[in-house]
Amino acid sequence: MKLPEQAIPLHTVGWTVAAMLVAALPHLAAMPTGLAVLIVAAAAWRLAAAHYGWRPPPRWLRILLTLGAVALVVFTLGALWGRRTAATLLCVMLAAKMFELFRIRDLRMVASVCFFLIATQFLFNERLFYLVYLATGAMVAVVALIQIQRYEDSTLTGRNTADPDHRSLIRQGAVMVMAALPVALTLFVLFPRLAQPLWGLPEQVMDGRTGLSDSMSPGSIANLFLDDSPAFRAEFDDQPPPPQHRYWRGPVLWHFDGNTWRQSQFASRQPAIPVPADSDTIRYSIQLEPHEQRWLFVLDYPVNAPAEAHISLDYQVVDQRPVTSLKQYEMVSNPDFIDMPELHESLQRQALSLPPERNPRTLDRAQELRERYPDDRELIMAVLRWFNEEEFYYSLETTPTGRHGTDEFLFDLRVGYCEHYASAFAILMRAAGIPTRVVTGYQGGFWQPNGQYLLVRQSDAHAWTEVWLEGSGWTRVDPTSAVAPERIEQGSRSAVGHSRHMLDTEWLRTLRNRYDRFQHLWNRWILGFDAERQQRFLERLGMPDTRPGTIAVIMVVAMAMVIAAITLVVLGRSWRHRDPLLRAWHRLERRLHRTGVRRTGGETPLELLKHAAGIMPDQAAELERLAEHFGKARYGPDPAGHAELFIEHSKAFKPVSPNEPGALNSV
Amino acid sequence: MAQTAAPGNRPGLKNTWQRLVESWLRRRAPIHPPLQLAYRQIFILPTRFGWMLGLLMGAMLIGSLNFNNNLGLLTTFIVAGLGVNSMLLAFRNLHKLAIRGGMANPVHAGQTAHYQLSLQSTDERPRPSLYVRHEVKRVGIDIDDSSAVSITVPLLTHQRGWHRPGRMRIETTHPLGLFRAWAWFWPDRPYLVWPQPAERPPPLPEGGGGPGGREQRHQVEGEDFYSLRQWREGDPLHRIAWKASQRHQDLLSREFREEQAPELVLTLDRAPARDLESRISIVTAWVLQAEQLDRTWTLQLGSLELGPDHGPPHRKRCLRALAEL
Repeated sequence: MKLPEQAIPLHTVGWTVAAMLVAALPHLAAMPTGLAVLIVAAAAWRLAAAHYGWRPPPRWLRILLTLGAVALVVFTLGALWGRRTAATLLCVMLAAKMFELFRIRDLRMVASVCFFLIATQFLFNERLFYLVYLATGAMVAVVALIQIQRYEDSTLTGRNTADPDHRSLIRQGAVMVMAALPVALTLFVLFPRLAQPLWGLPEQVMDGRTGLSDSMSPGSIANLFLDDSPAFRAEFDDQPPPPQHRYWRGPVLWHFDGNTWRQSQFASRQPAIPVPADSDTIRYSIQLEPHEQRWLFVLDYPVNAPAEAHISLDYQVVDQRPVTSLKQYEMVSNPDFIDMPELHESLQRQALSLPPERNPRTLDRAQELRERYPDDRELIMAVLRWFNEEEFYYSLETTPTGRHGTDEFLFDLRVGYCEHYASAFAILMRAAGIPTRVVTGYQGGFWQPNGQYLLVRQSDAHAWTEVWLEGSGWTRVDPTSAVAPERIEQGSRSAVGHSRHMLDTEWLRTLRNRYDRFQHLWNRWILGFDAERQQRFLERLGMPDTRPGTIAVIMVVAMAMVIAAITLVVLGRSWRHRDPLLRAWHRLERRLHRTGVRRTGGETPLELLKHAAGIMPDQAAELERLAEHFGKARYGPDPAGHAELFIEHSKAFKPVSPNEPGALNSV
Repeated sequence: MAQTAAPGNRPGLKNTWQRLVESWLRRRAPIHPPLQLAYRQIFILPTRFGWMLGLLMGAMLIGSLNFNNNLGLLTTFIVAGLGVNSMLLAFRNLHKLAIRGGMANPVHAGQTAHYQLSLQSTDERPRPSLYVRHEVKRVGIDIDDSSAVSITVPLLTHQRGWHRPGRMRIETTHPLGLFRAWAWFWPDRPYLVWPQPAERPPPLPEGGGGPGGREQRHQVEGEDFYSLRQWREGDPLHRIAWKASQRHQDLLSREFREEQAPELVLTLDRAPARDLESRISIVTAWVLQAEQLDRTWTLQLGSLELGPDHGPPHRKRCLRALAEL
């Protein structure tokens, strides 16, 4: 490796390393701590090397370090090959690069890869907050590039760059990033988007967090109660439905094996019976956060499916691919639809099956109830009354149960939350001969009055049941509402009853709700801007033809216009001097120029004034005085205030061209 | 002026190509200083680093488009915006830059000539990161305001005579090193290269030159004090030795004499070598030696006769005559 003669100064290395660390920050937080510590240590080594003037380690050691780092990543994360591993590998390679960061091109390489690293992070999270990360990361990387250019200059000009003005550097970096915005935003709006991805979409986007799963076993929903992150947001064309009707349908579960509820292969594959739209339909649009699953959450009963999604027989709306980036879709739902007035025999069998030799006490209880209440509706009411009147509690603090879990829950513990009640209720119903299925999804949501949208959080996850009744088809019954009606009326928070953690204060919640409004706008206008929205946006601007090819042409034209505008600004604006004396001088020079006194190459200001005095003998005395003030102010200490005098007199000075008639008259 | 063409000017594909480029450029805009760089003579292309960042940007673009990742796209487009602005700023850094003058003090062949150009920002805009490149050499300069700044371009010299520096290039990669804007120019003011002095020249040829010689005037007014003698009319006042005169009750003048002042006559014939260039370089070495020893010498080159004289101006005249031979 050929090294520059003088070591690269600390501030140049410092900015480059800083750019790397800022860009790597979220990645460092997500990777195993050991690896993160190693990366930071490598950066610290490079800074120390710049400070103490250490030489780079020998080549064999560098190769060994790089290979060792890669081996470490493979060893630590190898089993989980995915984007996170790839991003970690990139960070580790950059850390290894620290040991050969001794040439200008290596510095530039690291600074530019920072942009890539920043973009990589957005594959995992695109929250509004990351805009700050993008702005900071880009700015520091630009400052690093400016500083590297300065360093390169100094190797050739010999000019000392020992102590750069960091504040002005940061300002320059910020200005450069902001000046990039016109081009960036134009491209952002007009760059044709892909309607179909070119290759497979990633599987993991939630970084270890979970959403609603496709099965339900004790505790699976409880995990979500602590997660306040948004699940989706809904905007309504009219008023939102009242809280007791905000049931957001997700996976519908038919099979129970004694422990876990699962989907039915049959019902989820069959197409739905079309739901007609009528006067009571609800029109709304959903902004779904990525959840790595294929369901789209809807109100009962979906009339239409968004493009690339289908509606199953049990009215789940299932997308073709797992939702791994923010998804926006428009929905129409008809709540008055009667789902299956006639129940097919095979479905009925599925909706009544129970695992053998489980929960004998529950089955006995069901038989008992059946004998007392031959009517299905009365039986249901009796069970709900039982849940309501007896000592049943709604709580997240449950005890693990054994083989006959429902028996223990119904007769011994009587403490549980929605999934316990839904499961127990469904088993009771099935045992009593009423076809029942469990529906999971979200219930409720926080109405943002200013933003006019409903925010549904992960903690709003819920499970309820649907029973099939003669005449009304599948009918929603929520046993939780019998135990804890406030859970349905006021949301999951009221049901839990106490703060879940120390930071869970009212004030903080208000703040979070306010912040979510910006997040909502962000999602809607920035993240949700896809091929479809782009098309609609252009249509609204009056473009009749919005095929990708046309959009590309529009983009090229718009880009040409934006670049032309920037060029005008960059080249057209005359340089304004900070020094008022020089500003005054240039004003005077322009005036003289207009009257025909042109400055020839190499003529000094004083020579020019003498030259002007020769052309305009009438004003010679005035010009002489100006020359004297300027000379004294410019070329020496100026205690007598000649600068001010020059500015004042030059403002008052009106050169009169000797060729003009006015000049002749005045003679 | 014997040689004005650049050394090694042999016909070849490369030279033909360069001539073509030159004539094309000449049609576009003035190419000899003084000139002011304008739109038509400023070229711009990405640097190697610029291409690399472009490649990286392409990767970011495809990835973000595929995953429909809008923040990723925004990052990509910010990089694109930085690129566009870099290009404009690099262009602006050269636009309206005046290049003037061009001169170099003569040097001996084999030494580095320092060709001085004057750069001036005609619109008072600061111009950081300017480089002037000539052949493989590159020198950098920053211009802070409107005052003209001189920049020294080192030129390697091979042959004696008058030379033009040939093609020079002023370039900049300001502000981020992504784009290089450049302009070609051909400074047409020639510079002089003296002959290379012989490394081990024979001793100075003492004694008269041509037939008949010159009167060997030993008593020249020299620098060294010789003796005191009686004052004669015409002796300048400062020569009077006042203290001694007082002692001797008579006016005494100090007499100065050159210690050893035989006149040197340097001709090419006296140089013991076969070919002209070696002789020239021996005579060059003699001229330098004579000046160093503070001798008076005469240089005879054919009909041209310089001297007798001494001192640096004489040496320079002689060297120039030798260079132009």
